[in-house]
Amino acid sequence: MKLHELIKENFQKENTYSVSEKMRVDEAFGIFDKLGIPSTKNEEWKYTNLKNIAEKEFKIESSLKNISDFYSKLSIQNITSNRLVFVNGIYSETLSNIIEKDKTILIDNIFSARKNHTEIYNNHFSKYAKIEGLALNAMNAALLNDGAFVFVPKGKVVEHPILIINITDSVESNILSQPRNLIVVEKSANVKLIEAYYSTGKNASFTNVVSEIYADENACVEHYKIQQQVGECYQNNFTQFFQEANTTINQVTLTLDGTVVRNNLHFYMNGENCNTLLYGLYLATENNHIDNHTRVDHAKPNCYSNELYKGILKDKSTAVFNGKIMVHLDAQKTNAYQRNQNILLSDEATINTKPQLEIFADDVKCSHGATVGQLEEEPMFYLRSRGIPENEARKMLLNAFADAIAEEIKIPELVSILEQEINNKL
Amino acid sequence: MLSIKNLQAEIEGKKILNGINLEVKPGEVHAIMGPNGAGKSTLSSVLAGREDYTVTGGEVIFNGKNLLDLSPEDRAREGVFLAFQYPVEIPGVSTTNFLKTAINEKRKYHGLEPMEATDFLKMMRAKMEFVEMDKSLTSRSLNEGFSGGEKKRNEIFQMAMLEPKLGILDETDSGLDIDALRLVSNGVNKLRNKENAFIVITHYQRLLDYIVPDFVHVLYKGRIVKSGDKELAKELEVKGYDWIKQEVEAAQ
Ligand SMILES: Nc1ncnc2c1ncn2[C@@H]1O[C@H](COP(=O)(O)OP(=O)(O)O)[C@@H](O)[C@H]1O
Ligand SMILES: [Mg+2]
Repeated sequence: MKLHELIKENFQKENTYSVSEKMRVDEAFGIFDKLGIPSTKNEEWKYTNLKNIAEKEFKIESSLKNISDFYSKLSIQNITSNRLVFVNGIYSETLSNIIEKDKTILIDNIFSARKNHTEIYNNHFSKYAKIEGLALNAMNAALLNDGAFVFVPKGKVVEHPILIINITDSVESNILSQPRNLIVVEKSANVKLIEAYYSTGKNASFTNVVSEIYADENACVEHYKIQQQVGECYQNNFTQFFQEANTTINQVTLTLDGTVVRNNLHFYMNGENCNTLLYGLYLATENNHIDNHTRVDHAKPNCYSNELYKGILKDKSTAVFNGKIMVHLDAQKTNAYQRNQNILLSDEATINTKPQLEIFADDVKCSHGATVGQLEEEPMFYLRSRGIPENEARKMLLNAFADAIAEEIKIPELVSILEQEINNKL
Repeated sequence: MLSIKNLQAEIEGKKILNGINLEVKPGEVHAIMGPNGAGKSTLSSVLAGREDYTVTGGEVIFNGKNLLDLSPEDRAREGVFLAFQYPVEIPGVSTTNFLKTAINEKRKYHGLEPMEATDFLKMMRAKMEFVEMDKSLTSRSLNEGFSGGEKKRNEIFQMAMLEPKLGILDETDSGLDIDALRLVSNGVNKLRNKENAFIVITHYQRLLDYIVPDFVHVLYKGRIVKSGDKELAKELEVKGYDWIKQEVEAAQ
């Protein structure tokens, strides 16, 4: 059964929704059913081909797999953190662990929140991530698995990061999982989040995840995404930040592996004086394909956004960068900057990079730029002329290239993981 | 130590070195002078192993090994050090980490254990004083945002750290004010001993007042056209290069 049929069949089986929710879910399914899996004819999917995914037979998991052995070997565990762990989209209570002592701070799975924190859930769930015209978002909304739920009340600071780990286990069959995260950060509250993706098993997996992050006035969110799925792993990752006035978001996306990874990272500034920093580093090797679509909506005046994405491509890998900055009509005094820099380590690697500025206000400062190049010869020769072998010199220079991103990561364990991956792969 | 015989090299099909001969023994300092475009930097680059150049003839023997067969890193580990005319800035690579890697790679090549961290830091401190290099410079990225003079001093500092058998200084004096020139020269003079040797490439006689050479060679159109002692440098200072050019032209 192809993916579209699988969704259709399972959708008709599902029946756990309340009446009001049912309407929303039906609508989502309707949109998905009409649009189908996007093809490369769709401008937004021009360089990322999902045919492989559309035609593969996936299974939707119904019971929790025991993967404690695999889990215990993940180095990300060294981070002192609150953990929510999901296996093939299903919440694992045994692997999850909440160390936060303040019980007004809610760190839970979303199915539990729907039951136990219904008001917050109803106020925010599915309010920010669009589904109109977005087939994969609609598919997620129609048939979601579990996911993370975080609620930080007004003025509270979550002491340790919240680590949201998604693992696909395709040992027995191809797996489709559709995690769904909802993060609500109230006024002047403060939180650090890490989304991490891993995989085990020889079969294929498709992770179609949607996250909504709401930041109320003066809130501060540090958000990291680290993608390290190895094997035949596909991922579509949609994240919508919704920012009220005076919020600060520091977002870093590290895409270190994956057969096909498509990130859609959206910010909507719904108030003045927002600060949005978005950094990305992608390492593409072998035949991997990594696509980063970002979009920053400057909807209100006096906001600042700064984007830096860096890519290292090896072998026959391909990557896409598409960065859209939308400056709305009344978003005067907008400052928006964007850069995309790439190093190609092989003649067979390809990058498609496209900055897109759409500016409807007149008093703004915007800039963008993209570079694609090879590792420079002069620094290479300089290092070698001091006795550092070619291999080692290359690693040093690639780490140096990644350094501008590593500097923005305030969790040292994540920096070590990044350095390790660079040293192992390149 | 170093024996260059009839060395010829080209770049992009253009012949730059047209048969260089040079013998350098331990303890010696050789100055190479010559007008712009003579091939001085080309010679130093070929000795250090820059891959842009194609060697089309001749040989270079360094302590019994065929230098031209070695990779740039192996040449360095055998004891060749080039102080660059234009040191490159490498943002994101820390000076300390870079030097630690370089020293330990060299030690590994010679079958030695990596240096103890404390010994390394002690050595850093000592050698920094040696060229009066500011401590803050080594905590920054390699050469990033350094002034011209700081970059040159950093080259000498690195040379002091790596203790080469043969140091090649490519116009280390150019762009230096008199104080920096004195520091750089003092650094080199303190490194001089019976076991090592230096090739000092310069455009001006000025540097040779501080680093006194045993031999002076004039490079012109890819050939050493005249050799002498330090008096030759003084003569060049007075007369310029034109008389050399005329002599060469007349001989042809
Ligand atoms: N990368 C290069 N490509 C082409 N020509 C070069 C290159 N580097 C040097 N040359 C030429 O080689 C000659 C010698 O240059 P160089 O060795 O730098 O001279 P010097 O250091 O004595 O001033 C010059 O004519 C210069 O133009
Ligand atoms: Mg030169």
